[in-house]
Amino acid sequence: MANGVDTHWTNDMNTHANTSLGLVLATLLAGSFATAEIPRTADGKPDMSGTYNVGTSTSMQRNRIFGDNRYMTEEQADRYARATQSFLQGRTSSDPNREAPPEGGDGSPGAAGNVGGYNVFWIPRDGTTSLGNKIPTSIIYEPENGRYPPRTEESRNRMVRQYRNYRGNDGTAWWLENEGPGPYDDPELRPLAERCLLGFSSTSGPPMLPALYNNTKRIVQTADTVMILIEMNHDARIVRMNSEHVAPDVRKWMGDSIGYWEGDTLVIDTTNFSDRPGLGGATRNLHVVERFTRTDESTLLYDFTVEDPTVWTQPWSGQYSWPATDERLYEYACHEGNYALGNILRGARILEADAIVAQGGE
Amino acid sequence: MIVKKQNLTIALFALLLPVASAQAHHAFGAEFDPNRPLLIKGEVIKVEWVNPHAWIHIAREMEDGTTESWMVEGGTPNTLLRRGINRDSLKPGIYLVVDGYQSKDRSNRANGRNITYSDGTTLFLGSSGTGAPRDGADPRERSQ
Repeated sequence: MANGVDTHWTNDMNTHANTSLGLVLATLLAGSFATAEIPRTADGKPDMSGTYNVGTSTSMQRNRIFGDNRYMTEEQADRYARATQSFLQGRTSSDPNREAPPEGGDGSPGAAGNVGGYNVFWIPRDGTTSLGNKIPTSIIYEPENGRYPPRTEESRNRMVRQYRNYRGNDGTAWWLENEGPGPYDDPELRPLAERCLLGFSSTSGPPMLPALYNNTKRIVQTADTVMILIEMNHDARIVRMNSEHVAPDVRKWMGDSIGYWEGDTLVIDTTNFSDRPGLGGATRNLHVVERFTRTDESTLLYDFTVEDPTVWTQPWSGQYSWPATDERLYEYACHEGNYALGNILRGARILEADAIVAQGGE
Repeated sequence: MIVKKQNLTIALFALLLPVASAQAHHAFGAEFDPNRPLLIKGEVIKVEWVNPHAWIHIAREMEDGTTESWMVEGGTPNTLLRRGINRDSLKPGIYLVVDGYQSKDRSNRANGRNITYSDGTTLFLGSSGTGAPRDGADPRERSQ
């Protein structure tokens, strides 16, 4: 979740300076990796083609205990690795004679909405946390505190309006007490991931961010087109090289992407998003610049800068490794087994009928 | 005291980790009813290895000795396939214990917040580290 809890915001006059600084830092960091021989295409460009597992346990935002430190100390990295291992190992056994979970919900937060999710064995155990030979404290590196910049007043007001009357999952049709449409009134009000239109966690982006699972990407590169296939939901980003953006009234789920080379760095510029980009909180004004650099024969450095002046008071940038994998990219036929959407909408109708009966209606 | 401090630190670091349920394909809270907790015991009938979520069909043992067909929602099958777990790993007839909550639509569906074998061990535990190539059980594998 983006920083909806920030209580202050600044009118940052140094937006452009910060962006430039971020780009310089990104370039310096990319250059600091060993300049090993990298595969190149026939026209001499670095060959980004391949299959990558971009799963990582590095968090998007930096925990405040790390302050402005972009990398962990060895001791911190060791503790983090142990905590990661412990988490991924999960609980190995439970009482076979256990009872049903508590009535009224188990208090699970987030998407597990008071009923719990599922066992950790559904979560992949691989993925990397390193960036070069260091362990970063967050994916975001600009602003320097590694956290989303403050939201604009407009964005904060929009969030307040959106969530003012929101209640957690208490097993009732609580939305009937509010003005306006309820969250389950129409399938088109449901999140894009739930409708199998885009993967969650901005997995297809841009920016393409690590998700809880299904983090495989495949890049196919030619001189005039770069294709990035995202396992979840089999989204294919088509990047036109050395091209112009389409007309402003043409809007796309993953935006309109054009690419060009800056030396050995592949730069992808994306605009023309729909009203609901994959990146949480962003609007149709989103502008994303992604930079792919091949740091060795099996690793890409993925760097991105996000700009949406209607949402964030300054641009922000992040970076993480894309290690190549010899695993296959599996099909993700989301519509094939998406029973959940029907269950959700049918469930809402039943809870609404219950509420009407409880009020003495018919 | 040192041990305690270390544990606390690890716990603090654990807070930085992604929560297994933080974000998924859909909000489980939208689908399942917190006021209808249940425990399902019975044999596997079949498994639907489908995305976005796998569904395990179970012949639930009822108090009167009969069985009812129930469906339990799990996670993405892609992860399991990568770890060498497939349709041969969870065959019909295997006895499972599942605790979760019933779907709000009152159909015979529940979330599998905890799926174990009859002895309480976590499902698929035995399949990890049993020789499946690069099953990810060892975090050092990647650097080797």
